[in-house]
Amino acid sequence: MKPKKVTIIGGGIAGMTAAWELAESGVTVDLIEKSGFLGGHAIQYTCKATSECLNCGACSVEKMLKNVVENDNITVHLSTEIEEIGKASPFSVKIKKSAVFIDGAKCTNCGICFDKLKDTGLIIRGYSKNNLPLFAINPDKLADNPNSLKEICPEGAIVVNAAPAVSKLTADAVIVATGFTPFNAARKGTYGYGRFPNVINGLDMERIKRQNGFLARPSDGAPAKKIAFIQCVGSRDENLGNLWCSQVCCPYALRSAESLKHKNPDLEITVFYMDIQNTGKSFPVFYESCKNDIRFIRSIPVDIFPEENGDLRMRLFDETQGSPEMETFDVVVLSTGIMPNTENKKLSGQMGIILDADGFFAFADDLNKTATAKGGIFIAGTAQGPKTIADSMTQAGQAAAGALKYLGVTK
Amino acid sequence: MTTDVLVIGGGAAAVQAANRLSTAEYPVTLAGPGQQQTAGKGVEVIAGATVIDVTGMPGDFTVKLASQGKAVTKKAGVIVVASELAVTPLLGAYGLTAGETVLSLSGFEALISDDAKRGKVLSGEKTVAFLAGFAQEGNPLLMKRILTCVDHLTGVTGCTAYVYINNIKVADDGLERLYKKGRDKGATYFKLQQAPSVSQDGNNLSITFHDPVLRSDIELSPDIIVCEESLTADPTHPALAKALRIDLGPMGFLQKENVHRLPVGSNREGIFVVGPGRDVENLTKSRADIDNMLLRVRALIGDGSLSVTAKAVVDRDKCVTCLTCYRCCPHGAITWDNKAIISPVACQGCGICASECPMDAIQLADFTDAEMMDRVKAAANAAGAPKIVAFCCRNSAYEAGMMAAAFNYELPKGLQMIKVPCAGKVDIQYILNALAVVDGVLVLACHTGNCKSEVGNTYAKWRVNDAYRKLEMVGIKKERLVFATLASNMAADFARIAKDMENIVREL
Repeated sequence: MKPKKVTIIGGGIAGMTAAWELAESGVTVDLIEKSGFLGGHAIQYTCKATSECLNCGACSVEKMLKNVVENDNITVHLSTEIEEIGKASPFSVKIKKSAVFIDGAKCTNCGICFDKLKDTGLIIRGYSKNNLPLFAINPDKLADNPNSLKEICPEGAIVVNAAPAVSKLTADAVIVATGFTPFNAARKGTYGYGRFPNVINGLDMERIKRQNGFLARPSDGAPAKKIAFIQCVGSRDENLGNLWCSQVCCPYALRSAESLKHKNPDLEITVFYMDIQNTGKSFPVFYESCKNDIRFIRSIPVDIFPEENGDLRMRLFDETQGSPEMETFDVVVLSTGIMPNTENKKLSGQMGIILDADGFFAFADDLNKTATAKGGIFIAGTAQGPKTIADSMTQAGQAAAGALKYLGVTK
Repeated sequence: MTTDVLVIGGGAAAVQAANRLSTAEYPVTLAGPGQQQTAGKGVEVIAGATVIDVTGMPGDFTVKLASQGKAVTKKAGVIVVASELAVTPLLGAYGLTAGETVLSLSGFEALISDDAKRGKVLSGEKTVAFLAGFAQEGNPLLMKRILTCVDHLTGVTGCTAYVYINNIKVADDGLERLYKKGRDKGATYFKLQQAPSVSQDGNNLSITFHDPVLRSDIELSPDIIVCEESLTADPTHPALAKALRIDLGPMGFLQKENVHRLPVGSNREGIFVVGPGRDVENLTKSRADIDNMLLRVRALIGDGSLSVTAKAVVDRDKCVTCLTCYRCCPHGAITWDNKAIISPVACQGCGICASECPMDAIQLADFTDAEMMDRVKAAANAAGAPKIVAFCCRNSAYEAGMMAAAFNYELPKGLQMIKVPCAGKVDIQYILNALAVVDGVLVLACHTGNCKSEVGNTYAKWRVNDAYRKLEMVGIKKERLVFATLASNMAADFARIAKDMENIVREL
C-alpha cells in the first residue's frame, strides 16, 4: 500500500508533535513552516528551572525538534508558505518557498553572515542546534537589494532568487497548526512598549536572558534589580473584545519570577494580576512558595511613566493598602497574550473551515477539539485556542490519532 | 505476549478509554468500581474490582484483582489507569452545615436541573451567594461549573447571584466569555484575598467581608449559599500506585510532574495514565489523553509483537541475586528467577542498576564499563589543557554542550564530553579514574524532577558526594570535581559551568 501523506501547516510545537506521531506510524509528512526555524514561539523560551525543574516544557520542544529532523518520514519545508490549498481530500497543496533563503546544503553554520550583519538584524540566529541551518534571513528586514546579501556568505549559501519558487504537493489529510500571533503591546499605548526601552514583553525577556544569562536592562545593560510583571496584556480585555484567558502567561510569569529569583535572591519582583491561573497539578504547593518570593498585587496598572535614568514609575493600587501609591521599577515585563494568528482568516477561507467568535479555528466536537466540520482537516495547538506547551503537544497527538483513523491507518 | 488491555477505573473516562480501545480492536477488560454497564459490547467488565498485585512485564502483565470477594487473574499486554476525581463538599471549611438553604455545588446543580424543585426553591427573587477559592485554590473545571450555575441562575426571574471568590480560574476555552455573560446579566463578583466571615443560624444566612477601598464591612444576607467542593485525585491512588509499582505524583495523582512522562506515561513502560488518573481533567481533556494513549499502545504492542533490543545485560555468573538492581530500577524493569532478569521491553537503558550493582554484573549494550574507561583515557590523551572531562547525560547536558559548541560559546580547549545514557550511569569508578588522569571532572545531570529515569540525577549526586569523601582521603582537592544540573537548551549555562571549572583547575 502506498504510504499515506499528510501536510501539516505550521512547524511549532503542535505541528512538530503531530508530524512526529504520524511519521512514527509510517505516514509521510510535509511540514510547512513559514519562518526559517522549526519550533515556533515555544522553542524561543529558556529553561525556567530553579534548583528543580518547574515543568515549563521548553526542553520538550527541543527534544521534539530533534525527533522531527531525525525522522526520515518528515520533509521539513522552511521559509515556505501555503499559496493555495484544496478544500477536500486528496488535497492539492501549492507551496511557495521564499525567494531569499539560506541553503542548508551549502551553509556550514559558521555564523559569518550573522556577525557581519549583526547591526542590521537581517540574519536571525536560531534557537536549536538541531535546526539547520542555524541561521535564517529575517524577511521583515529584507533590504531593497537582496543581491548584496549573496556576497556576505563565503560558501555562497545565501540564495537570492528573482521570485519565490512554487511547488505542488498532495495530501490525504491536513493538520492546521499555525499557532498564534502575540498581542502587540504597543496597542496599549500607556505602557509605552516600543517607546520606553525597559518595558519589554516575555519574548524580549527570553532573548535578553538567552544572550546574557540574566535579565539585563535594555537601556543600559545593567542587571535588573526590581522587576514588575503585568499580566493580561491583551487578554481578558473587554475593551479590545478579547474575551479569553491566554492560559500560559500566569505560568510563564510565575516560573520566570521564581527562576530569576533563584539566580539572584536579591531581586524584587512584583506581579500585577487579575486572577492567578494554575500551572499544573502541584500548583497549590508551587503558588505558596511563589508567595514567599514574589509580591502579588491584584490590580493592573494603567500608566507607566519613564524616568530619565530609564526607570519606570507606576501608579499602583495595592488593595490591602486601600489607596494608590507611586512606585519605581527598573524593568516592566508585559505578559502579552495569545491572539489568533493574523493569517487564520485567509487560511480558513482557502480551506473552507470556520473560525470561532474569537478568531481561532473552530472545533466541531466538544469532546475532540482537533476535529473540524470537514473530513481530513484537523486542528492542533494554539491555532484552536490558547494553550501551554504540554497541552499543545497532547492536542497534537490527538490530531495525529484522528488523522490516522481518517486515513485508515488505524481503526 | 498478549494485546489484551486492562483499563482500571469506574467512571466516564475509563468507559471512554475502554470503548476507544475496543473500537481499535484491542481485547479490553474494564475493572474498577462504578458504572461500567455503559461500556461498549466488546468490553469485558469486572465490576467492583480492586487491583491487588501486578507481576510480569509490558506485553505480558499478570494482574491479580479482587472483585466482590473473589480473586480474579487477568493477563494484559498494557494497563491503562483512568480513575475518576473524588468530589468532596467543603462546607465545613466555611463553618457551614448542609441544609435546605446551604448547598454544596453538586447539590445546587441537582436542584437547578430538577424543574419541580427549582421552581419551589428559587421562586420569589432569591439571592444566591456562591463561595469558592478560599478553602482551596480551585481550577477551571470547578470554575466552569460555578459559572454555569451563575449563568443559569441569572436566567431565573428575579434571582440575584453573588460570587465570593479568590482567583477566578478562567484558563480554559470559553470561560472568560461565560464569566462576562454572567456579569452582564447582573451577577456580582466579590474578589477577595481572604475568606469572608460566614454565619448560619437556621435559615438566617450572612456573609461579611471588609472592603479596603470603602474601608468598611459589607454584609449580605443571602437566601441560599452554594459552597465550593474539592475535585481531587481518587483516594485509592496510593494503594493502586503500590500495586502497579508506579510513582505517585503530586496531589495524589498517578503521574509525576516530569515532562518526560507527558502526556500519558508513567515511570513504567506499558502502564499509562489518562484523564483524572493524572490530573484534574474534564472529559474533553481525558479524550485527548485517550487518543494519545492509543498511539503509545499501538507503538508498543500494535502489531501483536514487541520489537526491542536489550539495552542492559545481566552476567548470570556474576549475579548473586542481591536484588539491588530490582530495588533501584526506576522503571520496574527488573524481576528475577534465581538471578536478576532485565526486561528488554521495560528497560529504558538508564544504567542506574549497572552502576549500583555491587558485583558489576550488569553492562549496558551501548555504554559498557570498558568503553567508558576507554573514553576517559582518550579524553586524557586529547589535546588542550587543562584537561576537563564532563560526564553528560544524553537527555540534557550532552545536548546543551553540543548546542554550546554549535553556537560558538567559548568552551575550555581541554574539555572533553563523555555522553552517558543518564547521570545515574556515572559510576564512582569513572569519576575516580578520570580524576587520576585529568585536571577536572564535571558530572552534569538533569534538574531535579526532570530526570527521565526519575532518580538518575539523585544517584549521580550521591556518587559525587561519595567521591568527595574518597578524594579527601587521598588528598585530591575536591574543587576538581563539580556536580551541576542543566536542561538540554542551556548552552550558555553549560559554557559558564565548563569555563568556571577551567578557572578553578587553573588556579589549583
